[in-house]
Amino acid sequence: MSSAPVAVSTVRRRGIEGRSNLAGWFFVSPAVLLFIVFIAGPFVAAMGLSLFSWDLLTPARFVGMENFTRLFGDATVWLSLRNTFVFAFASVVTHIVIGLALAVAVNRPLHKVVQYVTRSAIFFPFLISWAAVSLLWKYVLDPDFGIASYYLGRIGITPPNWLIDPQWALPALIGIDWWHTIGYTFVILLAGLQTVPGIYHEAAKIDGANAWQRFWHVTLPIMAPTLVFAMIITFIGAFQIFEPMRIITDGGPSDSTRSIVLYLYQQAFESFQVGYASTIALVVFAIVMIVTLLQLRLSRRWMGHD
Amino acid sequence: MTESGHSSGGGMTARLVAAPRVRRGARQKVGDIVLSVVLIVLSLFMIVPLVWLITTSVTTRAEAFQLPPRWIPTPPTLANYAEINSLIPIGRMALNSLIVSVLATAGALLTSTLAAYAFSRIRFRGGNTLFSVLLAALMVPVQLTVIPLFILMRTLGLVDNLAAVWLPATVNVFGIFFLRQYFASIPRDLDEAARIDGAGHLRILFQIMLPLAMPALSALTIFLFEATWNNYFWPSIFLQSNEQMTLPVGLVQLQGAVGGGPAVVVFAAITAVVLPVLILFLIFQRSFVESIASTGLKA
Repeated sequence: MSSAPVAVSTVRRRGIEGRSNLAGWFFVSPAVLLFIVFIAGPFVAAMGLSLFSWDLLTPARFVGMENFTRLFGDATVWLSLRNTFVFAFASVVTHIVIGLALAVAVNRPLHKVVQYVTRSAIFFPFLISWAAVSLLWKYVLDPDFGIASYYLGRIGITPPNWLIDPQWALPALIGIDWWHTIGYTFVILLAGLQTVPGIYHEAAKIDGANAWQRFWHVTLPIMAPTLVFAMIITFIGAFQIFEPMRIITDGGPSDSTRSIVLYLYQQAFESFQVGYASTIALVVFAIVMIVTLLQLRLSRRWMGHD
Repeated sequence: MTESGHSSGGGMTARLVAAPRVRRGARQKVGDIVLSVVLIVLSLFMIVPLVWLITTSVTTRAEAFQLPPRWIPTPPTLANYAEINSLIPIGRMALNSLIVSVLATAGALLTSTLAAYAFSRIRFRGGNTLFSVLLAALMVPVQLTVIPLFILMRTLGLVDNLAAVWLPATVNVFGIFFLRQYFASIPRDLDEAARIDGAGHLRILFQIMLPLAMPALSALTIFLFEATWNNYFWPSIFLQSNEQMTLPVGLVQLQGAVGGGPAVVVFAAITAVVLPVLILFLIFQRSFVESIASTGLKA
């Protein structure tokens, strides 16, 4: 007799669970369906494609690991990877160092107008599309009628022919990217900075720490997770750089600005080597994944959870 | 700060201690003024290319691109803007951009909201596994999925169709994750009370959760809209004819004009694309910055 109520409640609970399962899957179903069609499916398909040689016209041919061996012997892949790593590291360093300096500066009790103007001027370029940024800067850096060369000349510096000189094209693109995306890093770092409790600074001040010591021993340790996050997100974004290389230089001069994603794009949509392009894409994926997992580990260690 | 030494005691020692503090305060003030000047100069450097862009776009062809640049065009002209249409159908492209961005944003908001609600409020079999799979997918770069999707769209005859651009954007894994985090921070007491009153999940979601999640929703809306509106990579692969192009791809079509006569017209076109964004930014600056800060910090 005593087991009857238990049985009833189990049945009822199963019923509720069943309904809850149904409701859960009902709510996630639009996202899941689209996810399968547009993300998971293509992801699996890309892995499969990397085993084929296919030009989209003649039938696909299974080649096994041939694309991978070709990749290791492809000098352009290595050159593109080198360019991309140089770009990404330079991007991380310039974004984090200058971005942090700017965030610390704007976080000071300056005049409201100064804060507003600086914040707006630094942030706004981030909202312009790469297409517009690329076209604009192509003109700004033009040796004949661009303002950059003109004003540098006026202060006695003979500028290089930025986009034509293989030594200067990549640094020029690093600079353009900085102008375009520093606003993002700046905002992230400023938000992180504002979470540093003012009382810590007061305490350090009373202990006689100067501004530099307070920055080094109070601000930086508290900012560490935000800094790592900003570094990783900047690295991942920079590693997938495509637009300025495609629009401004198209990889030139003499391959000095060819990024790995630009090479992937050219293989897929100009040479129509979709199998080989997928293989290159897998390399990009592997690198992005390693860096992301590294960030997860680091942030877990810092926060102790999640 | 400077008064503290005097008010605390007025004795000799207090004065001696206070003196350097006064000087440090003054030094700090000078430091802040120097810093302000540096920041303003830097801000000018940031906006000089944009000022040059806008002034050149309203300069006559004959006077444009003179060095030193004329920062104030006399007289300003809108003639360059009238010529854009002879190079690219910019109105049509703006409309395409709007269609793509609105549909992608609305779609992603809807699917993310529904999924985020399930992940934060409904215990269902496979839910946790599914969520982990979605999280892992955040690491998959678009460059990997774009090739099979190009083949898919080609098979479906959707190449050079706006749907190829907005349809894949109606699911956004980051959006799901971002909203779930926000929903999880809303106390459960509210929806449990509603549930006891007999409210279903849909009612709880739309009448209780969504109004409370407005800050997150508006941040995500700005983030998604901005991302689709400015996207170049995706539409440059899928859209091929001028009539189907979005603004970023259309702008790049003007490349051929570089160095030739109508460079001013190219400047007018870039300005026509940038200026509305600038105006929106100046009006809703706070929302823009908060959107980026919140979506970034929680990513």
